[in-house]
Amino acid sequence: MKVVGARLPRYDGVAHVTGRTQFVDDVRVYGMLWAKALRSPHHSALIRKLDTSKAEQMTGVHAVVTSRDVPKNVYGHLEALGIPADEPLLADGDVGYKGQPIALVAAESEEAAAAAAEAIEVEYEEREPLLDIRKAGDPDAPKIHQWGNWYPHFEAGLDRRQIRKGDIERAFADADRIVSGVYRPAAIEHVPMEPQTALVVPEASGRLTIYSCTQALYFSMGVVAAHLQWPLNKLKFVGGTVGGGFGGKVDTATETVSALLALKSGRPVKWRWTREEEFLCSSTRAPWHMEIADAVTSDGWILGRKMLTLHDAGAYARFSPYGLTKHSFHHTGAYTIPNLHFDGYVIFTNRVPTTAMRGFGVTSVSFATELHMTRIAHELGLDPFEVRLRNANRIGDTSPNGVVYTDPSTVPTILAIADAIGHELAADYRAMTRDPRQGELLPEHLLAQVGNPEDH
Amino acid sequence: MRLTVNGVTREVDSPPLTPLLQVLREELGITSPKAGCQQGGCGACTVLVGDEPRRSCLLPVAALDGAAITTLEGLGGPDRLSAVQTAFYDHYASQCGFCTPGMILAVEGLLRRGEQPNRAEIEEALAGHFCRCTGYVKILAAAEALARGEVQPAVHDPLGQGSPDQPEILVPGSPA
Repeated sequence: MKVVGARLPRYDGVAHVTGRTQFVDDVRVYGMLWAKALRSPHHSALIRKLDTSKAEQMTGVHAVVTSRDVPKNVYGHLEALGIPADEPLLADGDVGYKGQPIALVAAESEEAAAAAAEAIEVEYEEREPLLDIRKAGDPDAPKIHQWGNWYPHFEAGLDRRQIRKGDIERAFADADRIVSGVYRPAAIEHVPMEPQTALVVPEASGRLTIYSCTQALYFSMGVVAAHLQWPLNKLKFVGGTVGGGFGGKVDTATETVSALLALKSGRPVKWRWTREEEFLCSSTRAPWHMEIADAVTSDGWILGRKMLTLHDAGAYARFSPYGLTKHSFHHTGAYTIPNLHFDGYVIFTNRVPTTAMRGFGVTSVSFATELHMTRIAHELGLDPFEVRLRNANRIGDTSPNGVVYTDPSTVPTILAIADAIGHELAADYRAMTRDPRQGELLPEHLLAQVGNPEDH
Repeated sequence: MRLTVNGVTREVDSPPLTPLLQVLREELGITSPKAGCQQGGCGACTVLVGDEPRRSCLLPVAALDGAAITTLEGLGGPDRLSAVQTAFYDHYASQCGFCTPGMILAVEGLLRRGEQPNRAEIEEALAGHFCRCTGYVKILAAAEALARGEVQPAVHDPLGQGSPDQPEILVPGSPA
């Protein structure tokens, strides 16, 4: 063990502390133009008229692009995983969220580009927006997405991610008590210190060099290539230096449009978002609505869980179906519950599209589950640590989607927390390990779910 | 109009109300001050005017005619780190690196103001400097180590080849 536990110097540490690290905005090329976006001022609207002619004539303006300039405007970030495309790169005919880009200008200064973007003439016909995921299914809710108000393309034609495990009806019939809770973590903006920025340089070879702050370089390369309908070998991506991302820079936010502007103008183009754009227009962590009802025994076993999750995707699917799938796999948290009935929906709203953020889809359910464990303990008059330890994942337990745990860390983690805060535990709990269940920790209701870790 | 930046006096052509940040980055090509928010809220554009940390995004360059500006490039280069740079490097007080130039100059300014600052004074000096990666713990640890006088400027030798005036970095207790 030469490396684990050792304090090694950061390979980029000297560059960071001497100001030599080159972020995208620090790259200097000759003849560079600046890009600015015309963005939707409305949550939901039809675009009745879009006229860029005045902007195109303005001093210092070299290119204006709209949806008509995009070879493949609608592209799905996860088409390779079977999630179909629904999001236009630039709005075409209507807008689904406030801040959605409609047109972009490349000009010789940021000021000139901003003035030209403002000079683009647009007429909107406002529509009633849907902003609350709980109202998406109401009969009078506005219909806001081509597929309906929630994502309908899960496997087997399902309009939800569902998990059915064990015998949920028996679990609820056998319960001493039903403990219910509703949990609603809000949207969170990633706020990377470096705003979304791209610099695209058209090369004499016909290729594009793209300086990108993406967290997912090859992924972004694929997205740009798809929109342009170009082969990958015409794109040279320069990346890896990210001024904070936290999931928000998985989205390919600036590279593609900058590439279109660079191609149209024949000049290098930089698009650097303002802090205001970061807050108003960039993707966020999703808001969630989670309803949990647990069938529990008076001594603290959880026999079964019914759960309904609404995941706010914002205006387009983007990565949300994937996030909800992870959420569903983790919907029992770090605990073993043998009988499950889970329904999760990816709901469309007229908010900014949501995306990955540090534990995509899982932090929401961890938040809900941990609060719910404490709620169960309080309702039963038991120690919250002991309720957790009793139900904690052990080697050989199975996850909601049938994976047998070989290396669960719940028990040692909870014991360490108890130690850290000086929480007294009864001796039998203090002695717990993560080893396979036996004796009192393997009651009848958990027998059927125990698997063989050797098989996995 | 003239600015002295990192000891070099430069003629500046930008219009008088251009923010110093833009003059440094776009006219002079000095890129360590970052355009994090461009409204004085995040601290990433901080430079020293004289010995005073200032938000360069809010300073019209006309107000600085003749002033001496220090950016992070002016503290120490990769082969010879200043004490504050050494502390940040040794304490892992930089993660993505984007807020680091402003953080280091805020601490540099604090130490130039004199006597060993206490924890509250360090926190006050770093108020308004946002970091989204570290949680500030390591940044504060670096600043406190400096305040205690524990950190000296260091010769750094990333390639392990030594530098002409100090060929070896000796570990404490070395027989050499």
